[in-house]
Amino acid sequence: MIYFDNAATTKPSKTAFDRAGEYVTEKFYNPSALYVEGYALQGELKKARSALLSKVADEAAFEWIFTSCGTESDNQAIFAFARRGNAITTAGEHSAVSAAFAELKNRGIDTRIAPLNADGSVNVEKLLDFVDEKTSFVSVMHVNNEIGAINDVNAIAKLVKAKNPRTIFHVDGVQGYGKIPFRLAKEIDLYSVSAHKIGGLKGVGGLIKRKSLVLPPYIIGGGQESGRRSGTENVFGIKQFEYAAEEKFKTLKADYERLTKYREKLWGLLDKELYTRLSQESGTPYILSVSARGLRGEVLLHMADDKGLIIGTGSACSSNAKNRYSKVILACGFDEKIADGFIRISFSPATTENEIEEGARLLNEIGKDLARRMK
Amino acid sequence: MEKVIIIRYAELFLKGKNRGFFERAFETNLRRAIQAYEHRLIKQSGRYLVRDFAEEDAEAIMEKLQKVFGVHTLSYAYETASDLDSIFEVAKGLCRPNGTFKVESHRGDKKYPMTSVEISKKLGGMLLDYAKGKLAVDVHNPSFTIRVDIRENGLALVFGEFIGGANGMPVGTAGKGLLLLSGGIDSPVAGYMMAKRGMNVDCLHFHSYPYTNMQAKEKVVELARILSEYTCGTTMYTVSVTHIQEEIHEKCRPELMITLLRRFMYRIAERQAKRIGGQCLITGESLGQVASQTIEGMTSSNSVVETLPVLRPLVSFDKNEIIEKSVKMGAYETSILPFEDCCTVFLPDFPAIRPKMKDILHEESKLDVEGLIEEAFTTLEKIEL
Repeated sequence: MIYFDNAATTKPSKTAFDRAGEYVTEKFYNPSALYVEGYALQGELKKARSALLSKVADEAAFEWIFTSCGTESDNQAIFAFARRGNAITTAGEHSAVSAAFAELKNRGIDTRIAPLNADGSVNVEKLLDFVDEKTSFVSVMHVNNEIGAINDVNAIAKLVKAKNPRTIFHVDGVQGYGKIPFRLAKEIDLYSVSAHKIGGLKGVGGLIKRKSLVLPPYIIGGGQESGRRSGTENVFGIKQFEYAAEEKFKTLKADYERLTKYREKLWGLLDKELYTRLSQESGTPYILSVSARGLRGEVLLHMADDKGLIIGTGSACSSNAKNRYSKVILACGFDEKIADGFIRISFSPATTENEIEEGARLLNEIGKDLARRMK
Repeated sequence: MEKVIIIRYAELFLKGKNRGFFERAFETNLRRAIQAYEHRLIKQSGRYLVRDFAEEDAEAIMEKLQKVFGVHTLSYAYETASDLDSIFEVAKGLCRPNGTFKVESHRGDKKYPMTSVEISKKLGGMLLDYAKGKLAVDVHNPSFTIRVDIRENGLALVFGEFIGGANGMPVGTAGKGLLLLSGGIDSPVAGYMMAKRGMNVDCLHFHSYPYTNMQAKEKVVELARILSEYTCGTTMYTVSVTHIQEEIHEKCRPELMITLLRRFMYRIAERQAKRIGGQCLITGESLGQVASQTIEGMTSSNSVVETLPVLRPLVSFDKNEIIEKSVKMGAYETSILPFEDCCTVFLPDFPAIRPKMKDILHEESKLDVEGLIEEAFTTLEKIEL
């Protein structure tokens, strides 16, 4: 089995899982409890918070809040700060942001969606045109989950703040954290993270916040996370995330370089008669998106699955033609034929060169097979 | 005082000498419908009573019984001693706080000291006194009705409303059909309609994996499960028509794709029906609804079915009439889930609306019909629901 859908989720780190096991079997106490056994866990959570934060940000300027997932982090940021005037985001966002913006619109906020460049990154000039004195909130994703484009969010944050210093700047960093060499500039107010994209577990996320920013909580209750995110902490999940991130950040640079080579190797091996490249070289090395023009991505997905190759696709076989095609791919300026044939191949540090070669062979084989069957 | 559910059936009475056969099927279906709940089902002069059930299951039992064909009406009732004071105690509890009412009485026990009219009058008077002016009697258009049924065993059933059942005939009394089940709105309703007339219904679904996905298949399984609540269980068969579609796509004129594919489906369906002892095919076709459901389209499909009748219970229904029934049977929400059951990859832009038999036969002659059907049968799967 070759697993090339790592942008959807990664296989959790077994080492981290074993290391964190004691938080299930022995140190199972409630961290909010007053006895030593429970209270000691506060220290463990603090360590995790600091370790996870310091990898990408200055601990003096930023702090880390644990959440249940990337979507929660995005929603928390958006609904806490996009409350008046206008709010701006990009046409490339994950539904955790784009659907939340649709809800903002329903609530009467003036929402503005910045268009994309052909490579899937946001058109910064157009985005800045939207910023005015009434702009309360801007959300720009770090790495696009469908096409892999990287936005220079530090630079964009600086430009936005230069135009309106009171605007809150949020970044959906779910596909960036632990994968792209990066440190948060002080102009970024909020940055969303998800554990399971880098060897952590589903159900654990984080929201990095500029310290001086007062965050109205989205979930209210027992006052955990300094009152900003109530609910008993998933201690095991958090510790497993800490350990998984520790491993991941150690090899971040090496992974980045190796996967860049792998991505290019895979593209080199793919049959250009069948596949059109959508991801550009400037994008994340973790994602190679291509389109089997004239074929349907989901059919390829099933055929690949039957042969032991798991790939992703943005489009589900929906009878609603409006939802059939990836909005992001269309927003990059590709036509519906390209969008119909869209498949996403995404890697992890565990990806091997053999898998790249075998994966390419299988993709060529099923692509040819389907093209023949549908000619 | 004990709570019971009264089940009344109607049409069965018409069946003269066969009545025993109908009643046995009906009783089996009733038992099957509520087998998950603790209860006792008793037959009592022209009706059934469900008793000894847990109070908290009552609603679920009613819901299940409402889906059993042959049930005319249902009532929640209280069984009590047949003296007027006991009846009054129960009737009090059934009264609304205000409004108009009437009492309807029925006397199974002809030795009872009062006539039906006297019971109604007396009980009505007692309830009026009890309500102290908040209730009034209106025998023509009351806002609620109290019903009393004096039984021969010294007991009376007291209840309020009649709750409508599914009507029709008990499933299992009118043979067996094979339903061509797609993922749409129509075919589950067609199965429902035939089960309503007492037919056992099994299902056959055609898929074209990998051009369609697992969610689409799951959706059809769920539709079959919803249908199975009315059909007293069903067996669903699935067959892949992927290769057939590919062959048609490669060798035949694109506008005839659907026409030709449907002929394959009918052929496969007839063979499968015969294998399982089915006596007809059932489809959800409605005249003129889509391009393949013209009379020409139906003629083309029908002509490949050799011996079995093809029943189309929805042939004259408007779409909104079908939707109404789909909502009523509880299938609509599932039917409209956006998964394709038939892949649009091969759908022509302009399907032939009035295909000519000459053209169809000519195009079909390019295909190995027998070989493809045999191959399709190797993909047959069976799911019991």
